[in-house]
Amino acid sequence: MGISETLETTNLISGAIEAPRYSCALGGAYATAVGIFGTVPILHSGAGCGIGQLFGQFYAGGQNAGGPFGGTSTPCSSLVEEHVIFGGEKKLENLIKSTTELVNGELFAIISGCVPSLIGDDVESVVRAFKEKNPGIPIIHVNTSGFAGTSYDGYEYFFDAVINQLLEETPKEKGLVNVFGIVPSQHIFWKGEANAVKKLLERIGLKPNLIVGEFDALKNLKKISAAEYNIVLSSWIGHKTAQKLEEKFGIPYISFPGVPVGPKQTSEFLRVVGERLGVSSDLIENLIATEEKRAYRFAEYIGDVLLIARPHPYFAVVADSNSAVSITKYLANEVGYLPDLVQITDNPPWEARKLINEELTVNLETPAWPEIIYEVDAHRIRENLKDRNFMFLLASSLETFISGPEFNAIHLTVSFPSYNRVILERSYAGFSGGLTLMEDIMSKYAGPL
Amino acid sequence: MSGTELTENKLIEERIDLSRATCPNREQRASGINVWYGKASDLVKEARSGCLRQRERNFQQSSGCVLNFYLSVRIGTIRDAVAIYHAPVGCSSAALGYRELYRHVPVELGRPANYDLHWMTTNLGEKDVVYGAGDKLAAAIKEAERRYNPKAIFILTSCTSGIIGEDIEGVVAQVQPEIKATIVPIHCEGSRSKLVQTGYDAFWHAVLKYLTKKPEKKQNDLVNVASMLSYTWQDRLEIKRLLGKIGLRVNFVPEFASVEQFEQLSEAAVTAPLCPTYTDYLARGLKQEYGVPYFLYPSPMGIANTDEWLREIGRHTGKEKEVEALIEEEHKKWLPKLKAIKHEFENFKGNGEKVEVLGALGQGRLLAQVPYFDELGLKSSAAMCQDFDNLILQDLERLLSQVGDFDILVNTFQAAEQTHITNHRNPDIAMTCPFQGGAFKRDKGVTRVHALRSDAHPWSAQSGYTGAIAFGNFLLQSLKSHSYQRTMKEKTQSTYKDWWYKQPNPLYYLKAED
Repeated sequence: MGISETLETTNLISGAIEAPRYSCALGGAYATAVGIFGTVPILHSGAGCGIGQLFGQFYAGGQNAGGPFGGTSTPCSSLVEEHVIFGGEKKLENLIKSTTELVNGELFAIISGCVPSLIGDDVESVVRAFKEKNPGIPIIHVNTSGFAGTSYDGYEYFFDAVINQLLEETPKEKGLVNVFGIVPSQHIFWKGEANAVKKLLERIGLKPNLIVGEFDALKNLKKISAAEYNIVLSSWIGHKTAQKLEEKFGIPYISFPGVPVGPKQTSEFLRVVGERLGVSSDLIENLIATEEKRAYRFAEYIGDVLLIARPHPYFAVVADSNSAVSITKYLANEVGYLPDLVQITDNPPWEARKLINEELTVNLETPAWPEIIYEVDAHRIRENLKDRNFMFLLASSLETFISGPEFNAIHLTVSFPSYNRVILERSYAGFSGGLTLMEDIMSKYAGPL
Repeated sequence: MSGTELTENKLIEERIDLSRATCPNREQRASGINVWYGKASDLVKEARSGCLRQRERNFQQSSGCVLNFYLSVRIGTIRDAVAIYHAPVGCSSAALGYRELYRHVPVELGRPANYDLHWMTTNLGEKDVVYGAGDKLAAAIKEAERRYNPKAIFILTSCTSGIIGEDIEGVVAQVQPEIKATIVPIHCEGSRSKLVQTGYDAFWHAVLKYLTKKPEKKQNDLVNVASMLSYTWQDRLEIKRLLGKIGLRVNFVPEFASVEQFEQLSEAAVTAPLCPTYTDYLARGLKQEYGVPYFLYPSPMGIANTDEWLREIGRHTGKEKEVEALIEEEHKKWLPKLKAIKHEFENFKGNGEKVEVLGALGQGRLLAQVPYFDELGLKSSAAMCQDFDNLILQDLERLLSQVGDFDILVNTFQAAEQTHITNHRNPDIAMTCPFQGGAFKRDKGVTRVHALRSDAHPWSAQSGYTGAIAFGNFLLQSLKSHSYQRTMKEKTQSTYKDWWYKQPNPLYYLKAED
């Protein structure tokens, strides 16, 4: 946690931190906008915010390029001293006009950074005036700043703007479910996870609206309010969004601690969702039976490498809470790995920690319970890894080169930042996702048996 | 045209004032701009007459700031130092990858083995912008010392710390007596300047002011080279190889340097450029404060430029004869290879026409690359340039007299403008980097302008003689590769609407002057 600060008092970190594994609220809102295909972000900020996040969010989130609207393709008001003195509103007004003339997009999302927040730009009135003149052009303003929180907060700010400025009361559509809690680029497998969850929900007859990693940005965002249910795949991220949708549009929600990894978590996920949404249990059980059969038949293939090369190893995890819980549970509950230490790096609020702790202890099918540490500071994370039993370190690219020499452990990047793994559609979600994780882990050491 | 005719010595602010907290912006120091399109000859005319002015755009894209273009990702390679960003948490997220990235350079190729870099952020929040955060900064400095016992602690400022009026120098003065490390505040508030190059000067100002010591002895065989990360590890090896052959040692700063190397900058025989615009402030400062001579032109790119670069160094180190012998020896080895590459380029089109290339990036690279392309038998009737200022005016005039006129688009990573000019010029090879958006989607050749220091493969060299050959072959290779850019052009939607490509002006959104 922040220097000279204890966790017990607050989950707001106000001290200095060494190399935290997230960016700012602008970074998260921006990554979310870029991750919803067809949304054009317009940064009302200093000129470096887009490039900074190209490196610090998009490359860090699995070495992904900015795509058609990210990085240097992102329109930006590029505020400097003269705007600090005279205001940046006129500049933004011109930028919105030119962007909507020039750029192919479905929805334009203005994202405010530190400078307009500090100088008190009245962005709302600029947007209002534009909307009055151009009622046909969809535009929202995400009122955030770099100092308003982390990337995870930025994700919520983005959806807050969508709810307040884009959504209207619409008739509910049977079977339509929104999925929240997967943050583009912060959750490095976000595209693959969204796609895997979408396919699972489709197979039980639902109409999933994943939003991130999908085309038709405007259409998908607008239909959020028509959903029958919201599914949140995180113990804390996306909860504010879901609560607001419940208050405003009466959509109930259900949450899971993370994206389901492997047959056990996936089956449980489908059963719970099915029950809430009135899906026939026969349909669910048939699907589970078919998929489990296949997944466990394939799990036979890893048997020799698992039991001969590195049987029942201790492992440590350094990851955001979503990934940490799902991966730890899979390894402990399905392949007999022994959790030694889990460090959670996304600073979840106090309420969520109780659930996370429970998931990582009583919900494990092993008497080996890991030590659980909530830590954002890279120095302390590294110190905490010293003198332990683990042979595998599932962490980020920050641990790539210290894992062997310092901890004598085999390393795999499963969390942000991921500068050493290019992640496109890969994920560990779903029935076969656990096996994909084992492929990645085992490929690091597989050899003569 | 109106405007006062400036005399030579008024084109730039020569004097470096280290009593100040930071440098002047490039706008003030050298009349820098980053919006211009037209003939290079007109650009130098306007600059020479003093009527070149920065203009506004009505459409702009994120292009980097004083902090987040160069400093955030690169100061972090200084070995026995810690960097502290006095900023909200997002200003430093770009730094998350660099320690690991440079681990890919093999130790056998000279990368320091004990290479473990650290940075912190003061993580400015809502409360801090109201009440100030000097205490947090002071606490972070003390914590950095406790954790790592570094020789230097760099403080990098941000838009936020600037706008809320943080008294950085006050904090430094207050905590320095308790801290063994030298605290080095760098004023790189993103909002201070439109020109990312101001970041270079701000960094060197801090180095000169806080780190460089008075010379204890002169080291007559030591050559300072300010090396940018956009030159590869192989470039670094080539420079070491060439200077090593004539008994000279290289003091490469800042990347991978130790703090001691900064302290000794004053003892060198000469400061030589890789990139003149990057080296300028350091070179002038070392001359003014410690009498270290310097030259800023040429850079060692291409055969003729490398010859001259070596001769300049020879002059300042008393190695004229050795340099001539070296040049002769190197020419014997490399000129036949250059000839072969040139021959292949000349015959590529089969109709006697030259292969056309659209390249350049920084203004320094512009000066180096255009004559090198000429050596390869390539034609560059247009070039792009990140910004322009009077520091290179004379050199650009000299270049024009050597290679003739060409068109120039001055813009800092404006992807729409770059896509436009690439589309309209339709060169055989378009050189790109991550900062040009979708400009790569086209029917003909595409390659990178540069790699980064982490690329240690011999294929990636661009500097010196080996670089002239390696880069020539690299460009030849790019002429033969089309499938990615063609497919992407065909199968993905353009970021910009069709009308953008149908109108003739890349600076369509230049704001009318008031």
